[in-house]
Amino acid sequence: MNIKEIKDIVTLMNENEINEFVIEREGFKLSIRRGPQFEKGPAITQVAVPGAPAVSSPPPSPPPTVGSREPESAFIVSPMVGTFYSAASSDSPPFVAVGQEVDEETVVCIIEAMKVMNEIKAERKGKILEALVENGEAVEFGKKLFRMSGG
Amino acid sequence: MPRCREGMFEKILIANRGEIALRIIRACKELGIRTVAVYSEADVHSMHVRQADEAICIGPAQSAKSYLNIAAIISAAEIADVEAIHPGYGFLAENAHFAEICESCGIRFIGPRPENIRLMGNKVEALTTVKKAGIAILPGSEGVVSDRDRALTVAKRIGYPVMIKAVAGGGGRGMRIAHNDVSLANAFLTAQAESEAGFGDPAVYIEKRIEQPRHVEVQILADAHGHVIHLNERDCSIQRRHQKLIEESPSPRLSPRIRAKMGRAAVRVAEAIGYVSAGTVEFLLNRDGYFYFLEMNTRIQVEHPVTEIVTQVDIVKEQIRIAQGKALKLQQSKVGLFGHAIECRINAEDWERDFAPCAGRVTAYSAPGGPGVRVDSHVYAGYEIPSYYDSMVGKVICVGHTRESAISRMRRALDEYIIEGVKTTIPLHRLILSDPRFRKGKYYTDFVDDLIEVQKKKKA
Repeated sequence: MNIKEIKDIVTLMNENEINEFVIEREGFKLSIRRGPQFEKGPAITQVAVPGAPAVSSPPPSPPPTVGSREPESAFIVSPMVGTFYSAASSDSPPFVAVGQEVDEETVVCIIEAMKVMNEIKAERKGKILEALVENGEAVEFGKKLFRMSGG
Repeated sequence: MPRCREGMFEKILIANRGEIALRIIRACKELGIRTVAVYSEADVHSMHVRQADEAICIGPAQSAKSYLNIAAIISAAEIADVEAIHPGYGFLAENAHFAEICESCGIRFIGPRPENIRLMGNKVEALTTVKKAGIAILPGSEGVVSDRDRALTVAKRIGYPVMIKAVAGGGGRGMRIAHNDVSLANAFLTAQAESEAGFGDPAVYIEKRIEQPRHVEVQILADAHGHVIHLNERDCSIQRRHQKLIEESPSPRLSPRIRAKMGRAAVRVAEAIGYVSAGTVEFLLNRDGYFYFLEMNTRIQVEHPVTEIVTQVDIVKEQIRIAQGKALKLQQSKVGLFGHAIECRINAEDWERDFAPCAGRVTAYSAPGGPGVRVDSHVYAGYEIPSYYDSMVGKVICVGHTRESAISRMRRALDEYIIEGVKTTIPLHRLILSDPRFRKGKYYTDFVDDLIEVQKKKKA
């Protein structure tokens, strides 16, 4: 393996957010690792909220670097810790639906923290492409709530 | 509705980070209690996050928005359904308001009662209370000094030099010395301004400054049934600008008679205020062996391992048991002193450049080991030290049969300690440990500042 091939491997790793690469052949082994020694621990265990199914979420992707928002990603992220509700009450329709166009002032969900219902606004223009959390799910700061177009 | 059940906690949230969060997690694990870590975005790769059973991101890097964010922490505690919160030290550990909110949300605060925190957090009220309990306090204003003229009057009465201290301060912060009337006038106004800026309250008081004082503090444990014991003292006189660098227990050259007297005094203070949980009563010892109450810290302290090692008591576990309502099993007569322990606080700072903090990636890390060596650290090879928080990398605690053997062991341990990629204060500790005055136990709180001055002159 020559230096150019190794450089290519490193580039591919960075582009695809691969953290570890190992290749072993007769008489040769190459191991490349990005980032710290280990991955972050498990995500929060979902708490069973009355009326909502208990869901265990997969380990979340590393949160965005402090102060920045990746230009190409269009996500509505949670600005606080709490419980996500997709509608104002159990008999109301959800605030938004997939495919819906929203603008900065559109309320997309409620996050309840310490008994206070906080209305979360989209804060950007675009179309809701996907809801990433379920009604009643516990969310942490920075948790991706909706995927949007118009990034 | 209170969710806390008598008996055992099932889950505890640790409202802190770094080495103390790891310390608390370790105690919980040994007690079979599940742990919930909270972390800022800057701490996503932190060891305490890795070791906890669950972890919740509570905010961006800034402390005000994360580790000091009461709403976020309580919210995290609620969604994780914990019964108790351990606040560690610093951050919200001595925030009476936070302790009250925990209780009102049905979450047990692992620490003293809010009124204990408030009382001892107001340094003037603390002095008044302690004086009433019959403990000696330093000559001083014994109350808030609101103007310069009053300051001058007090100083005249007690004699120079004097210390001007913030009522809402503590931990060595918000203090100014004055040696005469002229410097007092300036120092008084500066102290007020600094106090306002640092603690949100300009109130200051004045105390006599002791020459070559020794800072000796007593660890106490109190359960919720009125039983208070002490776990002997720690000598924390090795400080730089009032921040502790090295602590040891027992205090060198403290006679058994004064040790017992000081211990009893500390217990009396705790009993007088109905204190619960772990706490530390700080005294200033003068050259003639007289001691004066300085302040009380209503939290677990950074240097608690020193006491843990020589008394063989797990202070964090005791805090948890006390918070669960259990009675203290340990009797005062059974508290022993098993050897001599020393702790060195290692910071990621460049001690030769005025202790400039060195955030950055730790490229190589290997902690010392072997007999009598304990390392409390959250650092590992590849860890990125964030710039947003304190620069402490870890604590090395060594124990020996004698003070000499403990010092030798610490020198051996510091020689073994590998931390590369950032500058640390290990070289300064080596300098202190090899100084003949330290080895003889003949040092006072200005010792390190003097040492550094001498080193600077040598290099110049």
